[in-house]
Amino acid sequence: MDFNLTREQEMLRNMVREFAEKDLAPKALELDNKGEFPADVIKKMCELGLGGTLGKKEYGGSAMGHLASILSVEEISRVYPPAGFCLEGIHSAIALIQNAGTEEQKKNLLPRLIKGEKIPCVGVTEATGGSDPSVMQTVARPEGDEFVIDGRKVWITLAPVADIICFLATVDGKATAFYVEDGTPGFEKGHRADQVGLKSVPIGEFAFTGCRIPRSNMIGKEGGGLPAALTVFSTVARPNVAAIALGVAEGAYEVALKYCKERKLYGAPIANLQAIQFSLADMSTEIEAARWLCYYGVWKADQGKSVREVAVDTARAKVFATEVAIKTCVRATQLMGGYGLSPEYEVIRRLQDALELFPAAGTSEIMRVTIGRSITR
Amino acid sequence: MRLNIVVCIKQVPHPEHFHEIKLDPESQTINRRGIPAILNPPDKHALEEALQLKERYGGTITAVSMGPPEASQIMEEAYALGVDRSILLCDPLFAGADTLATARALAIGIQRLGEVDLILCGTHSMDGATGQVGPQLAEILGFPFIGFVRKMEIQERGTVLAERTIERGYLKVEGSLPLVLSVTKEINTPRLPTVIGIMEATQKEIYTWDTKELGIDPALVGIEGSPTRVSGIFERRLSRKGELLQGDPEEVIRKAIKRLRELEALR
Repeated sequence: MDFNLTREQEMLRNMVREFAEKDLAPKALELDNKGEFPADVIKKMCELGLGGTLGKKEYGGSAMGHLASILSVEEISRVYPPAGFCLEGIHSAIALIQNAGTEEQKKNLLPRLIKGEKIPCVGVTEATGGSDPSVMQTVARPEGDEFVIDGRKVWITLAPVADIICFLATVDGKATAFYVEDGTPGFEKGHRADQVGLKSVPIGEFAFTGCRIPRSNMIGKEGGGLPAALTVFSTVARPNVAAIALGVAEGAYEVALKYCKERKLYGAPIANLQAIQFSLADMSTEIEAARWLCYYGVWKADQGKSVREVAVDTARAKVFATEVAIKTCVRATQLMGGYGLSPEYEVIRRLQDALELFPAAGTSEIMRVTIGRSITR
Repeated sequence: MRLNIVVCIKQVPHPEHFHEIKLDPESQTINRRGIPAILNPPDKHALEEALQLKERYGGTITAVSMGPPEASQIMEEAYALGVDRSILLCDPLFAGADTLATARALAIGIQRLGEVDLILCGTHSMDGATGQVGPQLAEILGFPFIGFVRKMEIQERGTVLAERTIERGYLKVEGSLPLVLSVTKEINTPRLPTVIGIMEATQKEIYTWDTKELGIDPALVGIEGSPTRVSGIFERRLSRKGELLQGDPEEVIRKAIKRLRELEALR
């Protein structure tokens, strides 16, 4: 067994860590407080190539792979999770188009998304839910060379700022993937959600009212939307969200550890107290467990394993890492007393961010359904 | 004007881990085992300046380092940033070199490259921190040297106009190409490598030259060729003791001044 990263992956990790610590850390609090979309941060991340780790070279990507994509998300999220979450949205859209799109769509869309010139989003969830596509109400009616779309999507990451909107709609009852460009008549962006965490990530809804799009905007085959979306969820969205959770946990743990080494009680650092050490030991152990679950699923994807083989591991990573992130942040707030609860300090803000990860790319319950089915069939 | 630029770089222990470095009084050496190594931070400014000059004037950039095989990591990093060629001077005979023996090896390596217009260095290495290799290199090559450069411009007449940082300001200095410069951190903000740069870097060849390849007399390099020797290494132990002064602000200030005078920190 080789647990080492490749030299490229190591260099990528070092580069992203340096970027996060020098460029993101000084402005994380301000960005959180403003709650504005960090457009300049996204642009810079894409200039560095972090949007294109999954993109093939012919479309301007580096094709570095799934593990590389989550390493960059982890490092960004260790310092500023909202930027990691935006990166997840970009990775998912790129993967959907690259996996299922036509050559023309790939040539037209991918270079712009990889460079960060256009912001994408992927919309599956509706008011009735996102995990059961059989109740999907957004429909695409074929009319000549066009489709007429009606319906509404909610809780979509990056929707309020997206230029290229990928979505699922049913054609004769079969889920099919499409994209629409912002500004198309009949397409309208709606309410931006108010969030408890990840405050600078724009999450919101959009609606179609008799929106006409050309047939060439269909991504993949008619009726092929569900497998296309599930592939992206299993190999990109869930492992990316798991990596955000891992980064959140690492960030909170590091802050708490530093505090415990510096904070003195009865003349000695509180890190010398066994009760504190036990808590830190549990935090670090769970983070390491989460790390290897996160890496394992995407490592399998990079080895060319089937989506089915990868899906259960990435579901495990997602459910475990998100729960570890929350536990770690709660423990960190406890260790830091009043400082742990002040939004001026990182830990409580990270706990709020971690809570947002529960429903992202499928709830913990849906992850357990995926895992449960795979082990009982 | 196309410029052939050489940037001298070095691998050093990560400054954040300096406190973990152990001194071995018997062998008079530093034990760096387990300490992550990085590209010397001041050298990043030299690389960045070279990249900006190449963007403006065209030409080539060659990164040169003397170090153990592990230093190939920083040669890869230089490739990832955009240099055209990375050369590692690597031979067990180079071990234990002082600044002069290092400068000799670098000079011979650089002479092998053919025509060179400009050699850029960081002001110092974070570990040795002597700041001598740059000037010694210039001396051996017979080039002018301008140190602590915070700003530089290439003049049409084939000179460099540089602002050289001094204690209370700066000097404007002009020197003819070819020359050696050491640059300060104020000169630029080093870029990060891109993902594609990283991918390409690992595919490129790092040229490794040993003493035979360079045709160097082993007596001139490494510990053998070093006129200076470490006669002893000592660990500095810092022990800090705090004192708490209480009372209203004026009273505390009076007490603080009195205490500082007692300690002869104030006269």
